[in-house]
Amino acid sequence: MMHKVVAVAWREFSSTVLTKAFFIGAFLIPALAALAIPLIVKLTDEAKAPELVGTIAVVDRSGEVLPGVEQRLSVEGIAGLIAETSAIAREAIAEQLGEQAAQMQEHMDNPMVQAAIAQAFGPPPRLTVEPLPGEADVEVQRDRLKPSAEGDADALVALAVIAPDSVRKAEDAAAYGGYELFVRAKTDDRHIDLIRRALRDAVLEHRYAAAGVDATDVEALTSVSAPRTQEITDTGEARGATSALNMMLPFVFMLLLIMSVMVGGQYLLTTTIEEKSSRVVEVLLSAVSPMQLMTGKIIGQMGVGVVMLSIYMGVGMSTLVAFSLADLVSPEKLVYLIVYFVLAYFIFASFMAAIGSAVNELREAQSLQTPVMLTVMLPYFFWMPITRDPNSVFAIVLSMVPPMSPFAMVVRIASTEPPPAWQIFLSMGITAAFALGCVWFAAKVFRVGLLMFGKPPNFRTLVKWVRMA
Amino acid sequence: MPDAVIMEGITKTFGPKVAVREMNLRVPEGALYGFIGPNGAGKTTTIRMIMSIMFPDSGRLSVLGKASAVESKDRIGYLPEERGVYKKMKVGAFLRLIGRLKGMPGAGLDAKVRGWLERVDLADVYAKRCDELSKGMQQKVQFIAAVLHEPELIILDEPFSGLDPVNMRLLRDLFLEQHAAGRTVIFSTHVMHQAEQLCDHLIMINKGNKVLDASMEEIRARYDPRTILFEPLDPGAAAAAVRGLQGVGSISATNGVLEASLVDGAEPTAVMRRIVEAAPVTRIELRRPTLEDVFIDIVSRDAGSEADEASLRASLREEAAAGARA
Repeated sequence: MMHKVVAVAWREFSSTVLTKAFFIGAFLIPALAALAIPLIVKLTDEAKAPELVGTIAVVDRSGEVLPGVEQRLSVEGIAGLIAETSAIAREAIAEQLGEQAAQMQEHMDNPMVQAAIAQAFGPPPRLTVEPLPGEADVEVQRDRLKPSAEGDADALVALAVIAPDSVRKAEDAAAYGGYELFVRAKTDDRHIDLIRRALRDAVLEHRYAAAGVDATDVEALTSVSAPRTQEITDTGEARGATSALNMMLPFVFMLLLIMSVMVGGQYLLTTTIEEKSSRVVEVLLSAVSPMQLMTGKIIGQMGVGVVMLSIYMGVGMSTLVAFSLADLVSPEKLVYLIVYFVLAYFIFASFMAAIGSAVNELREAQSLQTPVMLTVMLPYFFWMPITRDPNSVFAIVLSMVPPMSPFAMVVRIASTEPPPAWQIFLSMGITAAFALGCVWFAAKVFRVGLLMFGKPPNFRTLVKWVRMA
Repeated sequence: MPDAVIMEGITKTFGPKVAVREMNLRVPEGALYGFIGPNGAGKTTTIRMIMSIMFPDSGRLSVLGKASAVESKDRIGYLPEERGVYKKMKVGAFLRLIGRLKGMPGAGLDAKVRGWLERVDLADVYAKRCDELSKGMQQKVQFIAAVLHEPELIILDEPFSGLDPVNMRLLRDLFLEQHAAGRTVIFSTHVMHQAEQLCDHLIMINKGNKVLDASMEEIRARYDPRTILFEPLDPGAAAAAVRGLQGVGSISATNGVLEASLVDGAEPTAVMRRIVEAAPVTRIELRRPTLEDVFIDIVSRDAGSEADEASLRASLREEAAAGARA
């Protein structure tokens, strides 16, 4: 009688997946989101980074800084600044990624990545420095910055006024002077940052020279090397303390599991209620047994969950591959994820099928459904403690006791300290036995519930039906 | 001839309510049987047990030689009382699904579906969604779902409810054709005159008990006519003239038609002759008891029940179709 189960499963699957609503929800929205992110990035880049070409007037009241400013605002000087900035950003990213830093470093040297970084900074400004005498009237010069002046032969894009005491402290003063910068309205903030850095570096350079200290000495003096924190494991091996990425992976695994289990389960509930309330169920029961019907429906919706899981797993894996981080997720971790998906799905789907068969309409399902939903939501609360200490007693117990075991174990498997294999297999065994029990319970309720109309049942009624069937 | 359905001592209870009590019945192969009784009598529960959709609390059941219909579902066609279709599904796809579920091979299935739709004047709904169909059309689609796989046993629960006379006749012809092809047909109805027109054999159910199990001829023979119906030229004068005639019991008049019951032992032909002599008539007949009368008779003879005749009669007619379900 297998072909009947297959026929039911196929109808269940096709009537769910081959619909516009599912296509939009499962494919189109993620695809649009994936397309939209680069598009938005590109749009903001293009919108915010107009080329900055023009004259910057420098009023050097100190009479010393001008050569440094001119050198740093030249095209080569600006390129150097950009390279320095991206190196700093790179170090920050590497710090976050921990163990993957070396790989990442390699990746960052890729010309395409370099181009992407260059893109992020926008086109470098091309500036001509116009030195003005120290006694120049700033008020007058400021008028050349007005947007209405744009296009005039003597228009400015920026005006820097270096304070007279910026290099040498005035007598009795506690601090050095600085500089003032005026820019034309709506100048890109990344360009402003670059000009400010150039001015600051120029001022510093001249201060060091005036004080008779070597710039490299100062840098050496102010830089403190502090490599990443390391943890010492039982085997004496040192490794990076849990980084953000290592925390995220278990969360992503858990989220995938919750989502794919919920999608199929929710559809199962809806279609069962629909079949019952439209009374088509009696026609079906004249052709198949309740057990065949339920099995077919559960398997069909499992296909829906598998489709969802594959989509998101595929997107996730290709993202990881794109960033050369695929080593993070070994194939056996994915296999475990799929096995636990099947187990969790059977537990969850059994309850959904039982509830769907017992009620007359979706509204009545709410009260029965709430405890089941809460159970599936619980992993959100224990994801953090398990990830922090994946082999604590709490984590081990939770990963053995259904119905939480699939979620807890998946978090542990994806963590930096995966559990020993025997624990995984023991947990799978216990969970599989529990899932079978759930299917048995659901089959009993399903058989009685499908033809029961009237007062919506509570859990006690369901148990009574199980005894009856 | 072997029996298609055998029920022995079948009882089914829902909590405190006994839906079917100690039911014994046999439906021989090739027969056309009617299950009749008012709404709530237990017809649908009996049928659901034959279909193995519900299971009896006690008793023995045999369907097409198997202990339960689970093993012979593909050889049974069923039109449930509660008509249901997948609302969003196309009619053609729905019928193909049912065909597949009934174990039909995929090859040639579509041609059969189209052929059947044509036969019931629904060729143009093949690609329509089920919820675009009227109730009557849905019912015809459901009938196709019941007979598409050429079953040996066809069970129709209230097949005529909600149909207009044209479609009622169409459906009746279709299932008489199935009967003529040698298939066993069981149908249930609470409308007695439909059963009277169609069946070879009747099983009457009331309050979960089988109260009558007989062929139409047996019923006619057992309930011989005891009423004379006549239409006098002058109804006012006729009532007085007929009253008191030898062999005439009570007299009642409705719309100029008079009904005279016979007293026990009276010879119908003699009484009719006397009536015609006493008052000129345009029409006179010996009225056969209808199934409704038979049913009322059986029920009111049942010591425990003090049935109100008018409401009982109402429950056996078409208008009561919207009432409580069996």
